[in-house]
Amino acid sequence: MRSHVKLSAVVAGGLVAALAGCGGTTGPSTGSGGGTNTAASGDCSSAEVFCVGLVTDVGKVDDKGFNQAAWEGVEEVKGELGAQTKYIETTDPKDYAKNIKQFTDTKYDVIVTVGFLMGDATRAAGKQYPNTKFIGFDQFQADPVVPNVTGLIFHEDQAGYAAGYLAGLMTKTNKIGVVLGQEIPPTQAYAAGYENGAMAANPGIKVSKVYHPAGNTAFNDPVWGAGEAKKMLAQGADFIFGAGGNTGNGALQEAAKTAGAGDKIFCIGVDLDQWNTLPAAHPCLITSAEKHEKEGIGTLLKQIKSNEIKPGNFFGTAGISQFHDFDSKVPADVKTKVGDVVKKLEDGSLATGYKP
Amino acid sequence: MADPRDEPSDGAPSQGAVATEAPPPVVPEQGAPPPPTGVLGLLVREQSIVVPIVAVVAALAIGAALIRAQGVNPTYAYQSLFSYSFGTADGLQATFEKMVPLILCGLAVVIPLRVGLFNIGAQGQLMSGAICAAAAAHSVREAPGFLVAVIAMVAGILGGAMWASIAGALKASRGVHEVISTIMLNSIAAGLIDYLVNGPLKDPTSAYPASYPAPDAAKLTPLGFIPIGLPIALVLAILVAWMLRRTTLGFQFETIGRNRHAASYAGIRLGGMIVLAMAVAGGLAGLAGSVEYLEIDPYRYQDGIAGSLGFDGITIALLARSSPLGTIPAAMLVGALRAGSSTLMFNTGIQPEIVDMLLAITLLLVSLPIIAKLIFRRHTAKSSALASSWGS
Repeated sequence: MRSHVKLSAVVAGGLVAALAGCGGTTGPSTGSGGGTNTAASGDCSSAEVFCVGLVTDVGKVDDKGFNQAAWEGVEEVKGELGAQTKYIETTDPKDYAKNIKQFTDTKYDVIVTVGFLMGDATRAAGKQYPNTKFIGFDQFQADPVVPNVTGLIFHEDQAGYAAGYLAGLMTKTNKIGVVLGQEIPPTQAYAAGYENGAMAANPGIKVSKVYHPAGNTAFNDPVWGAGEAKKMLAQGADFIFGAGGNTGNGALQEAAKTAGAGDKIFCIGVDLDQWNTLPAAHPCLITSAEKHEKEGIGTLLKQIKSNEIKPGNFFGTAGISQFHDFDSKVPADVKTKVGDVVKKLEDGSLATGYKP
Repeated sequence: MADPRDEPSDGAPSQGAVATEAPPPVVPEQGAPPPPTGVLGLLVREQSIVVPIVAVVAALAIGAALIRAQGVNPTYAYQSLFSYSFGTADGLQATFEKMVPLILCGLAVVIPLRVGLFNIGAQGQLMSGAICAAAAAHSVREAPGFLVAVIAMVAGILGGAMWASIAGALKASRGVHEVISTIMLNSIAAGLIDYLVNGPLKDPTSAYPASYPAPDAAKLTPLGFIPIGLPIALVLAILVAWMLRRTTLGFQFETIGRNRHAASYAGIRLGGMIVLAMAVAGGLAGLAGSVEYLEIDPYRYQDGIAGSLGFDGITIALLARSSPLGTIPAAMLVGALRAGSSTLMFNTGIQPEIVDMLLAITLLLVSLPIIAKLIFRRHTAKSSALASSWGS
């Protein structure tokens, strides 16, 4: 009996001590702005303080994908704009509105929401809080537009076109392949651009493409991506374009493991310069079809600061990343031709042939 | 009877009589001192409540150390988390909204546990319920809103019940272990639904695969900050507790859970009862799915809507120590933690995953008999809900 009582007392005492020990010296003032978020904590409701909040799609700000690109874009112009920045990571898609509200409640000037799944929640919040500016990353704004919401979108087909053009010029087997995630407008645009670009460079080329058939794992099925890449390589394709998050990454890694990777077999990454995010693909990763996401966010934030922002859609630029270690393997005339195409795509004098 | 060693292991019908009343939670061993009295006695008798509470407190203490290690004052962190979840109208509504499916999925795990089955399939049952609700609501979308909502809920219940009774029927007829069948049915449900939201049920105006949205009139708008689903879930929790305690059906469930051979000997039809228990559980999970569909933005079925609610149901059931009423405080804790996690991140920068970590630690402490052994020593109750699963 006695020993039980003693023991429970010890347990209880230990817990109390643990809690007390954690009370510590750090006051709430340090805690309030701490962690990975910014340390500055001005009052966002005052006109002088420019506050930018970011809500991620389900995922983290270091996901090596669009959440990370968006947050880095915000952080890059933070100093220049004198902005106070903070982010919230979404863990449940049913919390989009709630997380946006965290920022509107504290009177943030700009709220960046990441990913097209958050489009509805962003437009709803835009209507509800007309004095707050919203940037919807990857969110196409259909008519009627909300006056304080700007969608940052990209011509994926242009990035795909440039990548396809490069592949078309460089292929030896006249067969190239593309492994895609779910069949949704962005992946369709990548695929169409890739095909048309390849055809423009090399009319005799054969492009095989495949979309992931299942929705809930479509962008996170590297095993399937690797399998599809393997089939294409076995059929003689020498360029593999992986466009579908982790699914595409699986395809790239498969190509990187194949004999001849880097000499006869090449692969192309997607969305951002994957040389920096996917070291496993280095043996074959000649370039990436890149949306200039960071620059797009920065441009829009500057426009908001200087009050030049327009509602509706803002098209960020898209192209291909630098060649890194493959710089010496790309012939000079190919570089010139591809550079030319990218320029023409940017100034609008060349159409990719993709109709959304 | 509470001691698992009492169960016959050779599969022969038990010679013992069927337990006619719930045995006391503590079975004194032969030659052991009598159970303690006074405060300690109370704690020992109520250890199914004491242990989870101690586990939660211990988990919060460990969490405090982790928060501290990130340079944030834990008192402030917990304060900002809970003051949002319970102290603001928005936060309270979010907490309640999250509680509803947690209670229902908790019950969907609790009922089979009482029958000695471990239902890992609440996730798939919830998803089936949600998609059936979406299909039903769309097909009767012209009807008055109230009627659409009721039809959607009934369809959700039937959808979940049907899905779960597949596992029940497999168990009853072929002895397929329910852990295997329910977890596989989760994947089958995911695949089927994927086809449906990409095909027959796809809303053509949506850019991504999603079902048709709930008709505006059928959406369950909260009364103030009380979501409609909350009273439904609370009433069902009470009903399930009553059913298990006071009805013949509950008695039959419990008897099977304690000793299926004895139950069979006493004339209880095992097969029918197993299917029924699974169907009731699936119905509750399916209802959770349809309430989510009718109550929570985006009011449609799309990827990620089910989250991990079905699996959270297992957490709830274990935290509640398979007591139907216990699912309410357990769901409130989990709901409040989840609702407050974004405020926690906003105020302190602590990642929302801290919540999952706290829950995992709590669960570990509840499931392992460490705490009970430490506090109660030999007075620890020996029955464990999880240890009773049979069929292999």
